[in-house]
Amino acid sequence: MNLIEVYIQEVTRRLPEKNREDIALELKSTIEDMLPEGYTDKNVETVLEKMGSPAALAEGYRDRSRYLIGPRYFDAYISLLKMILPIAATISLIVLAAEHIIGYDRDTSVLNMIILLIAEGIWGMIVVGMQVFFWLTVVFAIMERVYKSDDSHPLTPHLTEWTVEDLKHTPLIPKQKAIPKYEVFGGLIWTAIWATVYFYADHLLGFYRNGPEGLEFIAPAMDEAVLVQYWPIILVIIGLEISLSIYKLIERQWTKAMAWFNALLQIIVTVAFIIIIKNPNLFNSTFMDELSGVFEVSVSKLELWMIGGSIFGFLIAAVINIFDGFRKARK
Amino acid sequence: MNTLLNSLLIELRRGTLTLAVLSQLQIPRYGYSLVQLLEQSGVMIDQSTLYPLLRRLEKQGLVTSSWDNSDSRPRKYYVLSEEGKTIYELLKKEWLDNSKKLMNVLNEEEHHEPN
Repeated sequence: MNLIEVYIQEVTRRLPEKNREDIALELKSTIEDMLPEGYTDKNVETVLEKMGSPAALAEGYRDRSRYLIGPRYFDAYISLLKMILPIAATISLIVLAAEHIIGYDRDTSVLNMIILLIAEGIWGMIVVGMQVFFWLTVVFAIMERVYKSDDSHPLTPHLTEWTVEDLKHTPLIPKQKAIPKYEVFGGLIWTAIWATVYFYADHLLGFYRNGPEGLEFIAPAMDEAVLVQYWPIILVIIGLEISLSIYKLIERQWTKAMAWFNALLQIIVTVAFIIIIKNPNLFNSTFMDELSGVFEVSVSKLELWMIGGSIFGFLIAAVINIFDGFRKARK
Repeated sequence: MNTLLNSLLIELRRGTLTLAVLSQLQIPRYGYSLVQLLEQSGVMIDQSTLYPLLRRLEKQGLVTSSWDNSDSRPRKYYVLSEEGKTIYELLKKEWLDNSKKLMNVLNEEEHHEPN
């Protein structure tokens, strides 16, 4: 067996076709240069040992990169990934909640629906996460190869060179004013949850009793037909809440305009809440009868407490929320 | 500790290798003769680094190559191009300047040591 030929083959098979012949010839002459006159197999082995691993040699000849995303694009890649992943996951959750609200099936049991929502929610986030990760990586890997550059200075997320100008467009965010990311995404998820509950209220909120087969749903608390008739205002509130969350995500800190927006939203929500809860047909009579039995008060008194108490609580919460917004904006 | 030292040494040598190779290519030389020349001067060079390096220098236009088939064994000769000569002179000057500065820094450090 000719070890020299095998060695050269092991190097060249790793190289692009067009360079193979020339490199093979050069390697052959170099290896022969290294061998003494009338060499033996032992000499050949020593020389090849000295040349080192064919893979390492081939690697030296190849000039294509052995990484997917190099130092120049890595920072931009990571920050885009961090920015897009939570947004995509939240949007997938909102879409999922919307699908359940629009195409709901009255016959599904509450427990089944909750399990389905959680399972689909988790699965949806995983799928969306993988999609985002995959496509972003592909785009950056292509960019890395198309816009090849020896410059390894990291680019900004806008894919430009860093300059002092960048600092002027980056806000200095004091800790008291800052809006943490979890607040934004928590807010979005909260919107998705209450909207789902609102349109499923006759299945979820109500009077439960411990029966032989676990919790038994006796009577819904509210009349779904009454709730559904307010859908335009509910859609407006959902839209405003999502806008506020996105606004927070972009600004990353409380501003005066944001505090006003928040105040407006709180007022609309409170007014809507009062209008809906004061609707005389809202509470289901079976539910009220059951509940008044539990507290041993008359239905009319109970209704007064419930409506009065929740309006009072809602007002307090709204006022605190509005002031908190202005307080954080002023700091 | 040894691997750290090794990686630091490799980093130190990385730039010097190109300079050492360019310095020997004022006249045409073939691969193995270059290895021998450098080794005689005490510059150890990995063969799996040298041959790819020569090709890269050629691709960058710093050296030109030609096959000599007159001998019984064909050999590929490399020599500095005009651009290569200019670049070599600039690199050499830079290296000498840098070594001088580094020497100053290292000597200074020695003077401080007694405190």
